Amino acid sequence: MSRPGFVLEVDDRTPPLLVHNGEGFLLERFPQGTRVVYPPEALPPVRDVDEAIQNALLNPIESEPLPELLRPGMRLTIAFDDISLPLPPMKKPDIRQRVIEAVLELAAQAGVDDVELISANALHRRLTPNELREIVGERVFRSFFPDGKLYNFDAEDRDNLTHLGQTRHGEDVEISKRAAESDLLVYVNVNLVAMDGGHKSTSIGLASYKSLKHHHNSHTMIHSRSFMDHKASKMHHSAWRMGEVLTSHVKVFQIETTLNNDIFGGPIEFLQKREWEWSIKDQASMLGTKRALAAAPAKVRHKIFTDVRSNYGLTGINAGSIEPVHEKTIEAVHRQHLVEVQGQSDVAIMGVPFVGPYNVNSVMNPILAACMGLGYYFNSYRGNPVVRKDGAVILYHPVDYEFSQLHHPSYVDFFEEVLSESTDPATIEAKFEKQYAEDPWYIHLYRTSYAYHGVHPFYMWYWISHALDHCGDIVWVGANRKTVERMGFRSASTLQDALEMVSHSVGRSPSITYLHNPPHLLADVR
Amino acid sequence: MSLADKLKDKKVLVTGVTGFVGEALLHRIIGELPGTTVVAIIRPKGSLTGTDRMAQLLRKDIFKPFYGEGTEYADAEALSAARIQVIDGDLSDVPELPKDLDIVVHCAGDVSFDPPIHEAFTTNVLGTKSLLERIVETGRPVHYVHISTAYTAGRRRGAIPEAPVDHFVDWRTEAEAGMAMKSRIEEQSRSAPMLAKFRKEAEKLHRRAGHLTAAADTERRRTEWVAKRLVETGTERARSLGWTDCYTFTKALGERVVEEFSGKLPTSIVRPAIIESALQSPHPGWIEGFKMAEPLILAYGRGELPEFPASPDSVIEIIPVDHVVGAICAVMATEPELSKPEYYHIGSGSRNPLTFEQLYAGVRAYFSKHPFDLGERGAVRLPVWKFPGGDSVETMLRYGERAHKIADKIITTVPRGERTRKYARELDVQKRRLDFLRRYMDLYSEYAQAELQFIDDNVLALHNALEGDDKEKFACDTAVVDWQYYLQELHCPSVTESMRRLDVVRKKRNKALAESAGVLKKVEPSEAKVVAAFDMDGTLLSSNVIETYLWMRLPELDGPQRAGEIGAMLRKLPKLIAAERKDRGTFLRTIYRRYAGADLEELNQIVDEILAEHVLERLSGAAVRRIREHRAAGHKTILITGAVRPLTRPLEPLFDEIVAAELAVDDRGRCTGFLSGPPLVGESRAAWLKHHARQTNIDLSKSFAYADSHSDLPMLSTVGNPVAVSPDVSLFRAARAARWQIVDWKTPSTSSRLELPGVNAR
Repeated sequence: MSRPGFVLEVDDRTPPLLVHNGEGFLLERFPQGTRVVYPPEALPPVRDVDEAIQNALLNPIESEPLPELLRPGMRLTIAFDDISLPLPPMKKPDIRQRVIEAVLELAAQAGVDDVELISANALHRRLTPNELREIVGERVFRSFFPDGKLYNFDAEDRDNLTHLGQTRHGEDVEISKRAAESDLLVYVNVNLVAMDGGHKSTSIGLASYKSLKHHHNSHTMIHSRSFMDHKASKMHHSAWRMGEVLTSHVKVFQIETTLNNDIFGGPIEFLQKREWEWSIKDQASMLGTKRALAAAPAKVRHKIFTDVRSNYGLTGINAGSIEPVHEKTIEAVHRQHLVEVQGQSDVAIMGVPFVGPYNVNSVMNPILAACMGLGYYFNSYRGNPVVRKDGAVILYHPVDYEFSQLHHPSYVDFFEEVLSESTDPATIEAKFEKQYAEDPWYIHLYRTSYAYHGVHPFYMWYWISHALDHCGDIVWVGANRKTVERMGFRSASTLQDALEMVSHSVGRSPSITYLHNPPHLLADVR
Repeated sequence: MSLADKLKDKKVLVTGVTGFVGEALLHRIIGELPGTTVVAIIRPKGSLTGTDRMAQLLRKDIFKPFYGEGTEYADAEALSAARIQVIDGDLSDVPELPKDLDIVVHCAGDVSFDPPIHEAFTTNVLGTKSLLERIVETGRPVHYVHISTAYTAGRRRGAIPEAPVDHFVDWRTEAEAGMAMKSRIEEQSRSAPMLAKFRKEAEKLHRRAGHLTAAADTERRRTEWVAKRLVETGTERARSLGWTDCYTFTKALGERVVEEFSGKLPTSIVRPAIIESALQSPHPGWIEGFKMAEPLILAYGRGELPEFPASPDSVIEIIPVDHVVGAICAVMATEPELSKPEYYHIGSGSRNPLTFEQLYAGVRAYFSKHPFDLGERGAVRLPVWKFPGGDSVETMLRYGERAHKIADKIITTVPRGERTRKYARELDVQKRRLDFLRRYMDLYSEYAQAELQFIDDNVLALHNALEGDDKEKFACDTAVVDWQYYLQELHCPSVTESMRRLDVVRKKRNKALAESAGVLKKVEPSEAKVVAAFDMDGTLLSSNVIETYLWMRLPELDGPQRAGEIGAMLRKLPKLIAAERKDRGTFLRTIYRRYAGADLEELNQIVDEILAEHVLERLSGAAVRRIREHRAAGHKTILITGAVRPLTRPLEPLFDEIVAAELAVDDRGRCTGFLSGPPLVGESRAAWLKHHARQTNIDLSKSFAYADSHSDLPMLSTVGNPVAVSPDVSLFRAARAARWQIVDWKTPSTSSRLELPGVNAR
């Protein structure tokens, strides 16, 4: 049995603790009394993955078994989560590959030959052929990609979108035409964190800007408390309403998988161990890694981190009707991530790691770093935020001025043109969003190159609106002053300085909570 | 009898009244000689007539007390009407003079020490001659007062008497030869070997930009050479005869002319030494413009004059301007006999000498107390002079010049970059200082090492003969000057004042410039049709033709072929770089020849499928933003590049028009290795833009161009808003000189130069 997550209170025997800091990490001594939230250790994976997959497909929840839904001459579409999941990317074979292969096997047995595979990337960048291959595997790639049957969803391809109607709240539901017109849509999901899956899969993954803007906006986001709890998230409520419309038009067979916390393996396994339990070998590899990273040029360091692939064990797979399946999935996710935390604190500390959903095979630019810290980690709670209202958040990341012109062209411009005018999500939304969303150059790059949609940086900024609204002070440790300042935050050289800077609002001896992730955790704040 | 009485009702012609001494003289006559009328010959300048210039002169502060309330004259015009008669004219062609003149004071002259030889003769010798002829024409025994210089003594040493300079040079022969030099040197500069030399030098720098740019530079070099030669010829001729420079040489010959006329006109020759700011009148410290010592004093105060080739004990003959004017007035009233010209030395050396060391100490003391406030770095460190002697200063300077030359050669050869540009700018500052030092050392070292002593008994006698309060009003005994007081309290404060004011302005401007440096102004939509032309390689993305050629060819080759192709390019690299420096067109053709046999359709496909992401990844974000800003403002965006057409495909949506090199294809669609037209580089770009503008009614003066290399100079010059983007050193210098915007558009650090698409990239 793996050990559950727990909260450590720092005392004089506590060694320096590991903090993720972009492409690198630090060992930091926290003030005594700091609460450190550790995620549960990796749950034991299922013993036979293929058997589990077969079992899920043949014994689905509130649905006919998959073979019964398949018949010759039908249109079958398999949509799957894109490269933003899981993080870091999974060692081969990807779980999606194994599920898709099983589904295709059944489809072939049933004589289905009109099959298309769509990467549900919504407004994310297109995946390169290599990236698609990594997800679906060589065999599937070869059989489908050359014929154009395996492709990226294109939210700007007007001819290939279908408007399915409006929700009872008047929200447009517009998704991929192929998916909408399929006799069966199989969605293959990877449910890394509690935010993923459920109706979010199809209603968001295969939706157009017209549909997305109903929930991806500053108002909805500020009231999604948190994203990691779909029952308390306005964004999820909207997605669920859309899901109702969608499922009334299309038969969806949802397959959700959950992964354990076995993220860092091999020489960097120490990253997911508790510091006082580091063996001699762990300490040696920690020191070696630290020294090597310090000595390596930025490009080499970047390459090292980009190449990290995680083991991940499958903790569960459920298939069938979306909502009951997602119930089960959330249960499994909670089992792996949930840590009980008693009460909020004045200060929350988080280390932003090297990878987020939108910089796989790319660089984490300042906006993405902010989103990772204040969007994802801040929202990793259920019930109440870890930090009290008007408390302070202290983050670690270098926040270098570094943008990929290939993947994030609109981000650079957003940083230079939008953030220089305002950092208030609502103002930004009103003044700039439409212009960026409809910009033909960004649309061109989104459709033909590998760029995130022009509007995507706005979504990143909306993601952090809850944190901006909730927190009094936001201070980055060791970050580039200029970039941090542009985003409306402050930068400190050390944790001590950061605490000094926030002392005017939280006092000289604030209560502090440090979220020791990744591996992922979900703070259940009572 | 007072001077005022002696000179009452006299009519005095003053030449050079707009100059330093002339102005002070006019001021003194108006103020202290109420009965004397001034006739001024003033050269019309531009649209201003002589009268206008006089009016302008009278509006200066020192003349203001003479008119207005509480004076005899209501305004400047009234003063002018009552006391001054203006004649429009020039000394090269002296107009007829009034018939009732009593005295002529000739203080016009070329005061620069290194005039071109023909100009020196025109003003100092022939001008004087024609003035004297005009005076003789009036038929009256006019008292002619000639203002010369004490340094007509040339390179002589020891005590110099107030007497004719002892020499046997025939001024007519010298004047004729000197005047002929102008056409001789002009002719020489137009000879084939000289022209070829100028052209080669110009082409070395500007060939890449095009023939016309090189031609313009060739002509500039020629005229510069002519001017330089004329100066050199003058200096050398002067030195060959024992004078320091062409100025003192022609001044000495001018005295000979005057002496020839002394039989017809009573003649006085006044020889002031180095005239500097006033002791008392018009007001203490008064000075107009920069004289001899000022540039050096200012340079010293800025810490830019590390040493000077002077002898510390050599006497520097400075005299305040009011003493000169006082002496001139006294001389006017002292008419000598015919054929017995009188000489007057106005100097300080014989009775109140100021040594160079004392001068240095005074200036240093002044700046120690009142340093220049040049910036945020506090007071400047003042150099300590050791007076090592002329030779070692010369060696120091020569060493500096040589070091600069080598550094400059290196900086123009190394790859461009922000650091290179920083060094280039520092080198340019260094160069300016070296040039300054060179110029002033060449000009003044003779004077700073002079060992002359000007006997001034005649002037002292004049001073002593002054009666009553004339001794105050027309004081000309320099023995009374306390040099340290004069330097520290009058002269230095006065000459630095304008500089200090300018520094405040400059500081403010520099601050503003520093804040806006590298920041482009937002593009405004305009009424007129406007284009924004962009260069591609080096401007929009960091790439070059060789690199992009490899990008295009390598993906379709297998391992060994790739190695072969890269090897071949590497072998050719030195040759290619040499070709590139010489002529970009030839260089491009050489590279493009290697496309022979490639399928154009395939190239397009390679670009679309493999290269597009590579190109886009290396695009500078700022560049794209700027292009889009232009589009949003309704400007027409044009990409003008020497790169082949397929490579521009990823950028197509950004531009309204793309002008690129077109690969010619045969009937099977295979590249022949030739282009279907000449590549658009250098001046062709400018020509294309101009033609395009004419055709489509575009206002080039409101248009924009962005480029990175010197070869784009013509294109940048054709538009009203040129921007140098991460420029190479030559363009950087040109852009700074022309005050163009300079920006640095960086290729994102995330892209790698060593990653080749389709070869080793992800």
